[in-house]
Amino acid sequence: MTEEIRIGVFICHCGINIGGVVDVPAVVDYASTLKHVVHAERNLYTCSSEGLEAIKSAIKEHNLNRVVVASCTPRTHESLFRATCKEAGLNPYLFEFVNIRDQCSWVHMHEPESATEKAKDLVRMGVAKAARLEPLEELTSDVIPTAVVIGAGISGMTAALSLARSGFSVHLIEKEREPGGLLRNLYKLYPTDELAAEFLEQRIRAVNAHERITLHLSSTVKEVEGYVGKFKVILDEAGVEQAIDAGVIIVATGAKEFEPVGLYEYDGEKVITQLQLEEKLKKSDLNWAAIKTVVMIQCVGARGEVVGYCSKICCMNAIKNAKLIKETHPEVNVFIAHNELQAYGEEYELYYRAAKKAGVRFLRFPLEQRPKVRKSEGKLIVDVFHERLNLDIPIEADLVVLSVPLVQNPDALHLSKLLKVPLGQDKFFFEAHVKLRPVDFATDGIFLCGTAHGPKDIGESIAQGYAAASRATIPLAKGYVRSEPIISSVNEELCVGCGICESVCPYGAIEVVEVDEDKKRARVTSVKCKGCGTCGSSCVKRAIKMYHFSDDQLIAQERAAVTTEVR
Amino acid sequence: MQAAFDLAEAGIKVCLVEKTLSIGGRMAQLDKTFPTNDCAICILAPKMMDCYRHENIEVLTFSEVISVEGEVGLFNVKILRRPRFIEEELCNGCGDCARVCPMGILNRFDMDLRVRSGAYIPFLQAVPLIYALDREKCMRCGLCKVVCGKDAIRYDQKPELVERTVGAIIVATGFDPLDPSDITEYGYGTYDNVLTALEYERLICAAGPTGGHVVRKDGKEVKRIAWIQCVGARDTRDNRPYCCSVCCMHATKEAILTREHYPEVETFILYTDLRCFGKGFQEYVNRAKDDYGVVYIRGKPGEIREKENGNLELFYSPYSDKVEILEVDMVVLCTALIPSEGVETLAKVLGIELDEYNFFKLRDPYNPTETTREGIFVAGYCQAPRDIPECIAHGSAAASRAMEVVLGGSDDRRD
Amino acid sequence: MEAVKIIGFLCNWCCYAGADLAGVSRFQYPPNIRIIRVMCSGRVDPVIILDAFLYGADGVFVGGCHPGDCHYLEGNYYAEKKIEMAQRLLKEARVEPKRLHLEWVSASEGERFSKIMKEFSDEIKALGPVTFETEALEAACLAAADYRLRILATKERELLEVGNKYGEVFTQHEMDRLLDDIVREEYEEKRILLKLKEPRSVKEIASELNLKPNIVLRHIMDLKRYELVDIHELRDYTPVYIARKLDEEGITE
Repeated sequence: MTEEIRIGVFICHCGINIGGVVDVPAVVDYASTLKHVVHAERNLYTCSSEGLEAIKSAIKEHNLNRVVVASCTPRTHESLFRATCKEAGLNPYLFEFVNIRDQCSWVHMHEPESATEKAKDLVRMGVAKAARLEPLEELTSDVIPTAVVIGAGISGMTAALSLARSGFSVHLIEKEREPGGLLRNLYKLYPTDELAAEFLEQRIRAVNAHERITLHLSSTVKEVEGYVGKFKVILDEAGVEQAIDAGVIIVATGAKEFEPVGLYEYDGEKVITQLQLEEKLKKSDLNWAAIKTVVMIQCVGARGEVVGYCSKICCMNAIKNAKLIKETHPEVNVFIAHNELQAYGEEYELYYRAAKKAGVRFLRFPLEQRPKVRKSEGKLIVDVFHERLNLDIPIEADLVVLSVPLVQNPDALHLSKLLKVPLGQDKFFFEAHVKLRPVDFATDGIFLCGTAHGPKDIGESIAQGYAAASRATIPLAKGYVRSEPIISSVNEELCVGCGICESVCPYGAIEVVEVDEDKKRARVTSVKCKGCGTCGSSCVKRAIKMYHFSDDQLIAQERAAVTTEVR
Repeated sequence: MQAAFDLAEAGIKVCLVEKTLSIGGRMAQLDKTFPTNDCAICILAPKMMDCYRHENIEVLTFSEVISVEGEVGLFNVKILRRPRFIEEELCNGCGDCARVCPMGILNRFDMDLRVRSGAYIPFLQAVPLIYALDREKCMRCGLCKVVCGKDAIRYDQKPELVERTVGAIIVATGFDPLDPSDITEYGYGTYDNVLTALEYERLICAAGPTGGHVVRKDGKEVKRIAWIQCVGARDTRDNRPYCCSVCCMHATKEAILTREHYPEVETFILYTDLRCFGKGFQEYVNRAKDDYGVVYIRGKPGEIREKENGNLELFYSPYSDKVEILEVDMVVLCTALIPSEGVETLAKVLGIELDEYNFFKLRDPYNPTETTREGIFVAGYCQAPRDIPECIAHGSAAASRAMEVVLGGSDDRRD
Repeated sequence: MEAVKIIGFLCNWCCYAGADLAGVSRFQYPPNIRIIRVMCSGRVDPVIILDAFLYGADGVFVGGCHPGDCHYLEGNYYAEKKIEMAQRLLKEARVEPKRLHLEWVSASEGERFSKIMKEFSDEIKALGPVTFETEALEAACLAAADYRLRILATKERELLEVGNKYGEVFTQHEMDRLLDDIVREEYEEKRILLKLKEPRSVKEIASELNLKPNIVLRHIMDLKRYELVDIHELRDYTPVYIARKLDEEGITE
């Protein structure tokens, strides 16, 4: 660029916050001596309306094509000054911020001369970088107003309905022949004790009735291409291949019950899982005449036995089934052998008390001494260790029900690779941020909800379904995604296609592609790049340029820090 | 904030009304968050700024909703803006007024453990970073007016009534910690070294009143600390039979942080049922036990007695018929978390129902965001106990319902 | 004590925010540091660090997020390995590796940031202004810019955690030994290359750099193979070599 660089420098007093320590007029004078600086002034509060006006008029009056503001911190005020430059007709990325308050006057309050010298150095550094800034355009990319929801369990259906009601088309993909997920296996629900089948029926009807939802049954995802706004999802729908173009994808693939093979004498007949119990209760498939005692064992295979986590819902589920049995067959003895009883939240404590009132007996065992199931003379005995008495209590059981954890679906690994989203240590899908972004993936445009994220009950699955819908609606409603142009770019002449950049990028934003026969080069998908710069500092040929934090900008800054010559 | 942000990002205009001087809520008071031990304010502050600076969000702090008329799609909301006695548009957060103010007042944000001046912001990272004068304690001495570089002091500022017309309303008023003074067997308020969990949180917080140092009022070194779970919760006495969901993990976190800062301090958590059900919770508890040596004792004390030297004796009974005594230097009560003060008035104003524990009632138990009035949704702890990720998901969930109202029109909103 | 200058590269999301908090809370520290904001500590290229020392920085500080907290998920893990690479090169160039310091500072650790600044300033002041042989640091810069060390600095993490293409996982000790050797070789090679800006014989270089002649010869043969040096002339049967022209930034193609 042969255009003359004309930099305007604005030094802020911030009242006495800067001015009381740093000799602002001296810094202004110094700034005027720097190469490329054609205008330097001081403001009492550069962020005030007068200050912002001063910047705008200076840009016009002095034909400035770069602006440097030395004041507080870019973390709060950079966007304000960028917007101001934009209003004055200057590209907002030709603006540089110098921090002389939070990182200078406020921390060297008793050394005004040193603080002033430091401020001068910092301004010189800012000017050196500003001289090398380039105008950048924010990237805008269209969003196809369609969503794909993978999994038609309760959370998937909830997300789909919410999105449809907000006006978007939804393709709801279900690998089984019917929708409903785990709910199909349940008999009654806690804490309302209503029938799962009716509850589910209502929602399936709503899904089928909605004109904007297309339900694809017996369908699996074969391939996924693209990025936020422009995904292409290829399905195998009952043997027929289908391609769907969508703007967002929601993963709602659910979970399955762990099968405790080889544990606790599990045989699927006398020693069964909770879901198997619900199946039998639904079909009235239990010979109550022959059942005097039911023993339920919690934490089977969980909390360190096979998987490390607590599966959250097993305690309440067991209580629900136990209470049900006591209410319909009060003469049957029902025991729940548990460790830490997870009856959390507003309603579950009361439900637990109700179960106790109905006659369910709770026995607590320590995690180091879990119950043992044994067969003795044709009978089934459960030994539950009683801490207080310090001995095993043998209970003769006619039916043993094992409360097992929910575990990830076996095909999740494949899906995670297709979508390039991670699985956590517990094998469930791993969200962008465990605290702040529970339903987002780090990859833009893909969201998560329900038991695919981790064990949870129906209310929570529904809440997450809505939450994922909300997050997905953002790009859909906006119609576009915009990203800051602080991204990487590859110089294909220097690049040798080694792929190291691809291996360090956690967003899959840079990939080695074949640009020609036998010629491979790295290419950046701008919309996916977050601008961290790791690829830039890893490139073996230094072929990657990081916009706005380029090598020559950073080098100019550090050289300006230690030398006074500005090149 | 999450609900407001999602809506704003989707192009919908939001008016965010906050009762206190700053957005951020309870999370701003925390030092770290379980189970990741993320610094709370670090991950919260950018969200606060995002909300405040968003072109589609109008943030009204120090304000309360005082009337709601109309129906879903067209609510007319009146909001009372209380006076800060400082001109919001002029204040730039420099803090000169706070430095000259002669008044010393206990800071509620720091759980009354620190003194702030009459001209104040609730905490350093408050958003908006605009000061206020304490209406009750201000003497009108005039010192702040003299030093204010922007001439922003307005002693005669009056409350302002503003009106907004909106399509949907979301309630997210959070919770208050229970004041356990009535639970006399634990001596809170009487014994010097019995604290609540949030008070302890402020003590151990690096940005808190003691810079992260755990100190007793008498200056004596703290060598043993005990946490007591379910204080006032799971308790039929005062109609709080519910479990507050987060306290077991909160205590675990505080114990871990304590052991990190002070490896020689012994930590005990006296619990009833350890609620470790969430993602990463069991692993967090394992770490506390195995890596940090936190001792978990199953047995809620029946009583605490104070010794002459200020130490405390906890009387509890784990698995034997004997009553054991644990002597510690400091006791932290994990008290119940209850719906915020003022929730009854707000429910009346909004025309929605509360349940028997004052949580906002759901129209349908499996629809976690709908209140008993169409168009008014609820998010967060004020509906039922939940932790931070669940509150955030819930906030987004409420936003999605509001989006349906605004984007989808009136036809097919019901399930 | 003489005034020393420290350059700091702080990541926007954690350390820079922590430094701001130190300011907001008024935690004071010595005014020796000049902070440069980067988006992620992973952005900090060893070339930039070594260039800073070359131009007179007495200390360089890099601040990133605590492991596991990186805003861009993994950048700080890579930063750690790059800093270690730069420290190895500093050692070869006879500059105290302590002058380059990496810390993880979160956005809430305002007081800790100020303490770290004070400690590091004191340390650099005690070491005094940096002294070095210009050509030594120039060689270090060239080595850092060259592909071999760049690959290793980036791949180190993978080799330690996942293993190489055969699934063999390296221990830190094996890695350290490997890297120490390779860094020394690269550095030597670059020093020789710089010496060859002027025509020189193997013996001359060996004596100037205090290296064994057979080692110098091995390097020159490699350089020749990469077409970076040529034979300039023969002086009494002794070959004299010269480097091909380097571009403006001193970076070889």
